[in-house]
Amino acid sequence: MSAQSNNIHSKANLTDTPASQSFWTSFIQTFKDVFGDKGVLLMLIIAPIIYGFFYPWPYSSEVVNHVPVGIIDHDNSNLSRTLVRYASASPYLNTERFINEQAAKEAIWSDQIAGYMVIPAGLEEQVQSGEQAHVSVLGNGGYFILNKNVQLGFSQAVGTVSAGIKVKKSIAKGAYASTAAQNTQAVPLRIMPLYNQTEGYGAYVVPAVSVIILQQTLLMATAMLIGTWYEQRRHSTSVRGWLGRIGALSSLSFIVGCFYYGWAFELHHYPRGQNMLGTLLFLALFCPTVATLGCVLGLWFRQRERSMQILIFISLPIFFLSGYPWPADQLPQVLQVLRWLVPTTPAINTSVQLNQMGASVSQVAIGFYALAALWLFYFMLLMLIRWYHADKQSKIVA
Amino acid sequence: MHLTKLSEAFLRSAAYERRFLAKNHWDFSMVVWIPLATVLLIWWIFSQTQITDLPIGVIDQDNSAVANTAVRYLEASPTLTVRQLYYSQADAEAAILQRDIYAVVIIPEDFSRNILSSQPAPLTLQVNAQYGTHSGIIQAGVQAVASTLSAGVETKRLIKQGVAPSQAMTAYAPISVQRISLFNAATNYQQFLASTVIPALLHILAMVIGATTIGRELRDKSIGRWYRFIDTGKPHLTLSRASKTTPSLSTKQDSSDKKASLNAKMPHSVSLSILVFGLLGKYFWPILAYSLWSALILWLATSNQNINIMSLMAVYAGFLCLIVLSFWLGAIFTLNSFSLRMGLSTTGFISAPSYAFAGVTFPYIAISDSAQYWSNALPLTHYLKLHIAQLQMQAPIAISLPIVYGLMLAVIIALVLAALLTKRALAHPERWGAR
Repeated sequence: MSAQSNNIHSKANLTDTPASQSFWTSFIQTFKDVFGDKGVLLMLIIAPIIYGFFYPWPYSSEVVNHVPVGIIDHDNSNLSRTLVRYASASPYLNTERFINEQAAKEAIWSDQIAGYMVIPAGLEEQVQSGEQAHVSVLGNGGYFILNKNVQLGFSQAVGTVSAGIKVKKSIAKGAYASTAAQNTQAVPLRIMPLYNQTEGYGAYVVPAVSVIILQQTLLMATAMLIGTWYEQRRHSTSVRGWLGRIGALSSLSFIVGCFYYGWAFELHHYPRGQNMLGTLLFLALFCPTVATLGCVLGLWFRQRERSMQILIFISLPIFFLSGYPWPADQLPQVLQVLRWLVPTTPAINTSVQLNQMGASVSQVAIGFYALAALWLFYFMLLMLIRWYHADKQSKIVA
Repeated sequence: MHLTKLSEAFLRSAAYERRFLAKNHWDFSMVVWIPLATVLLIWWIFSQTQITDLPIGVIDQDNSAVANTAVRYLEASPTLTVRQLYYSQADAEAAILQRDIYAVVIIPEDFSRNILSSQPAPLTLQVNAQYGTHSGIIQAGVQAVASTLSAGVETKRLIKQGVAPSQAMTAYAPISVQRISLFNAATNYQQFLASTVIPALLHILAMVIGATTIGRELRDKSIGRWYRFIDTGKPHLTLSRASKTTPSLSTKQDSSDKKASLNAKMPHSVSLSILVFGLLGKYFWPILAYSLWSALILWLATSNQNINIMSLMAVYAGFLCLIVLSFWLGAIFTLNSFSLRMGLSTTGFISAPSYAFAGVTFPYIAISDSAQYWSNALPLTHYLKLHIAQLQMQAPIAISLPIVYGLMLAVIIALVLAALLTKRALAHPERWGAR
C-alpha cells in the first residue's frame, strides 16, 4: 500500500509536465497508468471478473422447487387423503401436516412454510352428494415467487383429483372413458417459454445485471483514474488525447465484456450467443459511451475515491429504471424520459435482445442510436468541461 | 474514566465533523440529499403499484365467434393488452424480438371445430421468458382467460346435456380451489419491492459513509490530529481549519506536514473509551440524518395500513441498528486495510449485491446452500426478515424480537471492533495516507 502511495506521489512531483496530446501516446499512457494503479486495475478488470462468479451464486439452483407448505386436513376422509397424497407428490411443494390454522400461521411468520391448504370437514360428503365443495389455499403474499409456487402446486393437485372425480361421474353416466378423460379442460393452454426456456431465475436476471456490472466498474475505474489525474494536475489534454484515453479504457472494458458474453454466461448455462456479431458491435459502442461518461464524472468529482463514494449505490435504482425487471411504461412520465440519460437504459435491453434472444442488429437499431446519441452527448459535455478548465487556466496565467 | 471527559470527547468529535460537513458538499450530500432523493425516487418508481396492460399479440387462424370471444377476454384482462393481430408466425416473432410485444397467443384453425365437437381445443401461448417479470404476469393472465373460456364452454355443454344450470358449475369442477394471498393480497409492488429495496439502498449508503468518515482521516493523515482534538480539545478548531480548507492532497504540503507534525501526529496514549465516544460523535450527524430517512420510509410503507405501534417500534429499532451497524462495518473494512479506497471497494463488493442474497425477490429457501451462509452473514438479510414479518405479515412481535436483539448485539460488537481498529490505526502513522 505504501509503495502504491509513493508511486502516486512520485508522479505527482511531475505536476507541471503536460499530459500527452496525441491519440496513441495518450492511449499508451492510459494503459500504463491503469496497470500501474492497483485501485483502477482492481475496479476495471478484477472486480467484474469476480462478480461474474459471485453474482450468479445465489441463483445457482435456478428454479424454485419443493417449497415447504402446510396442509390442514379437517375432513380425514379417503378423498382428503387423496388430496394430501397428490399435493405431496407435486414437485413444487414439500408438504407438512399441521393441526390447525393457528399453527400453520405461526410457521409462516417464522418463515418455515410459504403457505398452506385447508381441507374443510365434510368435503367428501359434499362431493358425493353433488354439492359444490371448496378447499382453501393460502399463500404468503409477502414473497411473490413463493406464493406463485404454493398456488400452482396446490391448484394442480386439487385440479387432478377434481378431474378424476368428474371422469368417474361421467363414466357412471355412460360416457366412454376416453372421451370423458379428454373433457377435463375444454380450452387447455399450452405455454411455450421462448429464449429462457427453462425459465431459470439466474438466466433471467444475470444477463441484465452483467451489463450493470460492466457499466459500474468501468465508470468507477474511469472516474477514479481521471480524479487521480486531476489531483496530480495531469487531467488536461487535447481532444485527441481524450479520445485516446477513452479508447484505451474502453478496449480494456471490451475484453472484460468478452469474458462475460463468451465465458461467464456459458459457465452458468444461460441462454447466450444468439447474435454474437451483434453483441460485439454492441460492446464496441457501449464501452466507449460508458468510458466517456466516466471521464465527465471524473472531472466533476476531482478526487480519487469520490467515484466509489458516489456511484456504489446507483446500480439498484438504474436497474429498476432500465425497463427490464419492471415494465418501463409503468414508470411515472418524467422518469420515462430521464431514464434515457443512463447508458444501461438502452444497453440492457439491447444486449439481452441480441445475445439472449437473437434479434438482428436492425431490430435493436433504436438501442444503438440511443447509445450513439448518449456517447455524443457525454463527449460534448466533456469538451465543454475541457474548454471551461482551459479558459480558467488561461485567465490565471494572464 | 471521568464521564465529563467522555462526553467532551463526544461533543468535540461531533463539532469537528459538523465543521467538515459544512465545508464539503459531496460528503454533506451523502448524508442528506442523496439518501433523501433515493428514498423518494424508489418510492416514485413503483408509484403505479400494479403491473397492468402488458402488450401481447394474437394470431387468430380460426376467425370464429369463439375465437373472437377469446380475443375479447384477453383484451379485458387487466394485466394484458392486445397490441395487434398478426397474420404470420414470422411477423409475431419479429415483434417479440423488437419488444413491441412480450407474448403471442395462437388460436389454431380448428379451435371452434374442436369446441363444437367436444374435443379439447388448446390455445398456444408463446411468451418471452427472458423477461421474467413480464412473462410471469402474462402467463397468469392468459391462464385465467383460458380457464374462464373452459368454464364457459363446459357449463354450456353440460346444460345442453340436460344438467340444471345451478348444477352445471359443480359438475364442471367438483372441488374448486379458493385461492387466498395472505398479506399483500393485491400484489402491490410498492409494498413488495420499494419497501424492501429502500432499506437495502440506505444500508449501502450508510456503509459508504462509514468508510469515508474515518477513511478520509487516514487518507489525509489527520487521524492523529482528530484524536488529539477529541482528547484534549487542542488544537482549537479555528486553528486546524486553515490546514483543512486547502486539500492536503498535494505532495508539497505533505512534505511540509511531515516536518512540522511528525512528533505531534502520534498521540502518546490512546484510550479506548474516549475512542468509542469519539467515534459516536464523529458519526453523530449521519446517525441523526439516517434515523430521519429510516422513519420516512417506514412512514411511507405503513401509511396506508394498520400496523401495531409496537411492531413499528420494533422495525424502527431494527432499522436503526442496521444503519448504525453499516456505519461501523464501513469503518471496520477501511481501518482494517488502512485505505479509504480499499474500504470503499470492500464496502461496494459486500453491500451492492446484498439485496440479491437477501431472499426477497429470489426466495431464501431456493438459494444454494453455500450461498445461504453468505446470505446469513449479511445484516440486511436479517433486517428484511424482520421488516417483512412485521410490516407485511403482521406477525406477533415475539417472533421477530430475536432479530432486533441480534442486530443490537452486532452494533455493540462492531463499535468496539471499530474502536480497537482505530486504536491500531493510531499506532501506525507510517501507514497513513494510503490511496
